[in-house]
Amino acid sequence: MHLPVMGPTAAEELGHTQAMTQALVVRARNGDAQAFGELLEDHFELIFRTAWKWCGNRHDAEDIAQEVCVKLGQAIGGFDGRSAFSSWIYRITLNAVRDWQRAGRRRGRHADRYAEIAPDEHPADQEDAATSGQLWAAVRRLPEKQRDAVLLVYAEELSHAAAADIMGIKEATVSFHVHEARKTLRGLL
Amino acid sequence: MSNDMQNDPLNRLKNVAAPDARSEAKQRAVSAGMAAFEAANTKSATAPKGSSWGRRLTSIITSWKRKTIMDMRLPIGTAAIALLVLPLGYQLYTTTSMTGLPEASTRAVAPVAEPAPVDEALSPPPPAKVAQERAAPAPVAPAPAEMEMSAGDRVMMETMPEPLAAQNSMLTRAPAAGFATPMGEAMPMQAQPSGDEFISFDEQRLKVVAEQPVSTFSIDVDTASYSYVRRMLEDGFVPEPDAVRIEELVNYFPYDYPAAPSAEVPFQPTLAVFPTPWNPKTQLLQIGIKGYVPPAGQDKPANLVFLIDTSGSMDEPDKLPLLKRAFALLVEQLSGNDTVSIVAYAGSAGVVLEPTIATNKTAILGALDNLWAGGSTAGAEGIELAYRLAEEARVDGTNRVILATDGDFNVGIDDPEKLEGFIKAKRDGGVTLSVLGFGRGNLDDATMQALAQNGNGNASYISSFREAQKVLVEEVGGTLEVIAKDVKIQVEFNPAAVSEYRLIGYETRALNREDFNNDAVDAGDIGAGHTVTALYEITPVGSGGELVDPLRYGAEAARAGSEEIAFLRMRYKLPDSDVSQLIEQPVTPEVVYADIGQASDDARFAAAVAAFGQKLRGSDYGAGMSWDAIAELARSGRGADESGYRSEFVQLVKAAAGLK
Repeated sequence: MHLPVMGPTAAEELGHTQAMTQALVVRARNGDAQAFGELLEDHFELIFRTAWKWCGNRHDAEDIAQEVCVKLGQAIGGFDGRSAFSSWIYRITLNAVRDWQRAGRRRGRHADRYAEIAPDEHPADQEDAATSGQLWAAVRRLPEKQRDAVLLVYAEELSHAAAADIMGIKEATVSFHVHEARKTLRGLL
Repeated sequence: MSNDMQNDPLNRLKNVAAPDARSEAKQRAVSAGMAAFEAANTKSATAPKGSSWGRRLTSIITSWKRKTIMDMRLPIGTAAIALLVLPLGYQLYTTTSMTGLPEASTRAVAPVAEPAPVDEALSPPPPAKVAQERAAPAPVAPAPAEMEMSAGDRVMMETMPEPLAAQNSMLTRAPAAGFATPMGEAMPMQAQPSGDEFISFDEQRLKVVAEQPVSTFSIDVDTASYSYVRRMLEDGFVPEPDAVRIEELVNYFPYDYPAAPSAEVPFQPTLAVFPTPWNPKTQLLQIGIKGYVPPAGQDKPANLVFLIDTSGSMDEPDKLPLLKRAFALLVEQLSGNDTVSIVAYAGSAGVVLEPTIATNKTAILGALDNLWAGGSTAGAEGIELAYRLAEEARVDGTNRVILATDGDFNVGIDDPEKLEGFIKAKRDGGVTLSVLGFGRGNLDDATMQALAQNGNGNASYISSFREAQKVLVEEVGGTLEVIAKDVKIQVEFNPAAVSEYRLIGYETRALNREDFNNDAVDAGDIGAGHTVTALYEITPVGSGGELVDPLRYGAEAARAGSEEIAFLRMRYKLPDSDVSQLIEQPVTPEVVYADIGQASDDARFAAAVAAFGQKLRGSDYGAGMSWDAIAELARSGRGADESGYRSEFVQLVKAAAGLK
C-alpha cells in the first residue's frame, strides 16, 4: 500500500519548465533581477521540499531554503551551465543542509523540545505509515553521502547519473553508496 | 532483503508528501535571495568587465576557458590550501566554543515533529528518549562542588575540547554525584543551546555571625539575567544555573519603595523582616532602595553614541531589526538638549551618523534604517571611534556610549583586559558605557557584564520589543541619568539577635569588608527611579534553624543588651563627586512582621522571585518550596501590577514548573 503522492515530483515538475528555466537562467546571469526573482519563485518549492526531506522539519527547512536563496543570489552570476540548473540547485541545497546540520551544534535546539509537546496532528493510522516513518528516520541518520545518494535516487527518483552529477561523484560511486546504505539499513528493510 | 523493484522498501521513500512552505517563509527567502542577487550584481557591475558572465578573465582565449591548464591555477591552489586549512580548521572548530556537544548533531537528524502539518508517513518515532535526555539533566540537584569553581572563571565547558569538558564535568561533580553518575546527568549543560557564555560563580554561602558579622556588596541594577531566563523558559529550555543571577531577577521588577526627597540624599532604605517562605525557622531581611527621580523640568542634556554591531550574525529578526525599533523608541524619549550619534562596527563599519540633535528624528531614524547586517569585517577602532564622537559632542550631563550587540565584541580592541581598561579610563573621563544584548546563541553575557560594570553603565538583554520598551522608555531615566554612583551596602548583624545569615544573589557583586570605606573601589551605580532590592536569609538566635553548630569554645554572644537585629550602612557618591557619603540605619524589631501575609506586597513578591531563582539555579537553599507555592506567593504579592510584569512572572513560574 502506498501513500498518496501530493502533486508531481520535483523531477517531473522540472522537466516541463526546462526550456523556460534555461531562458530565465541566462537572463538572471546577465543581471536581470526580475528573471532571477522568477527563478526563485519557480524553484522555491523544490528547494524547500528537498530541504524538508533531508532534515524532516519545517522550521529548519525554511531556514535552509532561505540560505539557499541567498546563495543562489550570490552565485547565479557564476553558474556555468555545465550541469542542469536543477542539479545545481540540488547541489547547493544539499550543501546548505550539510552546513546547517553541522552548524546545528551551536544553534538552539527548540525543535526537540517542541517535538515532545507537539500535538500529533496526523496520527499514524496505518502500519505502513509507521514503518515508513521509521525508514525515513533511519535514512536521515545515514552518513551524509549514503543519505544523499539514497534520497536522490529513491525519494527524488533521479537516475544514478543525475545523482552523480549533483553529488559531484562518479555514477558507480552513487551505486556504491546506495549499496552501503542498504547494508546499514538492513535491519529495517 | 529484496532488491526487486516491486518490493524494494527504499521505493517507499518516494511516497512522501513534503508539506508546502508557508508563504511568508517563501516571501522572506525570495526577498533575501533577491537582496543577495542585487548585492552581488552591484559588485560585479563595478568589477572590470571582461567576461559576460561576470567572472574574472583568466585567459584571453575565452572560448577555451576551463580547458586550458591556466584555468587550473585556481582549483589547484584552492585544493592545496584546502588540504592545509581543512584539518587545521576542523581542529580549531572542534576545540572552540563554536562546538556543542556531539549529541547536538542528533538535533538535525533526529526526527522531529513540528506543530506544522506533517504527513503521517513521517510522524517520527516517539522522541521520548531524546526529550528525557534533555529534560532530565537540568533539574538534577547540582552538586555544591559544581559551584566551587572560582568566581570569574568563565564557564569553560563549552570551550573545552569535548572529552576534557566531560571529564571536568565529572570531576567537579564527583564528590556529590559519585562517579557512577550516568553521563546524561553529568552534563546538564545540554539542556540549553550552547553558545551563550556566562560567568560561573559560587552561590553565596551561609555565614556565621559570630565569625563574619559583616556582609558587604555592591548594588546591581542590571536586569539582563531575568530577560534571558524568561526567554529561555518561554522557548522551552531550562537556563543553565550560571545564567540565573537572582539579584537581577529580583531587581527586574519595579517596587513601590518611598522615593528619596532630594538629589542630595538620592535614596533611602526601606527595611522589612518577615518569615522565609521556604524555611519556617528563618527570616528574610529585605533592604529596598529607590533612586531619586528628578522633577520633569530638570532635563539634563544627554549625549548618546550608539555603537552598533552589524556583523552577519545580527541579521535575524530579534537582533538588528529589533535593535532599530528599540533605538527608535529611545530617540522618541530625547529632547532638543540631547545629541545622538551612530557608529557601526563589522559589516557596514564607520560613523553612520555624526552627532545630531535629537529633535532631528528624520536624520536619526533614516541613519538607523540604513544599517544592514552582513559580513564579518573587523570594524577596526569601532569603540575608539564611538568614544571619540562622545568626547567631541560632550555635554554637561550624561555622556554615554550604548553598545548594542549579540555577543560579537569585535570592536577593535581584541584583548578583553585592554578593552576593560580602555572603558575604565574613558569612564573616569566622564563617558560611560551601557551594553544592550540581543538574540541568543552567541551572547557573551560575561563580557557584557564586565564591560558595563567597568563603564559604569547597565547591561540589559533585549529579548523582545516589549523589553525594549521597558528598558528604553519606562526606565530611560535610570538608564541614562545616574543619580548616585559607587553604591555599596554593608550590613552588620547583631550576634545577639542573628546567628547565621546568607545574602541571596549578588554573588558577582561581593566586596571585601575593607572595600566599603575605600572610595577607590568601584561599585554599582543607580539611575533615576531605579529600585534595588537585597534579601538576606537570617537565622534568629534560638530559632533552631542553625545549620552550623555553635563553637564549643566560642565566646558568648556579645552585647546582648541591644535589640537591633542588624545595622545597615550604605555608601554612595553623588554623580559629580569623588567623595562618598554615608547613610546609616539600624534594623530594629519594629520592621519585623510575624507573618509573611502582613509584609508588603513588594516583600512577598521579591521573596517569591528569590525562591524562583534559587529553585531554577538548583540552589542548596529553598529547593523544598514547590513551584505552585512560589506562584501562589508571587500572585499574593502582585499588587496593582500596572505594567503586567508580575503577572507575567507568575506565568513564567508555571512554565518553569513544566520544564523542570
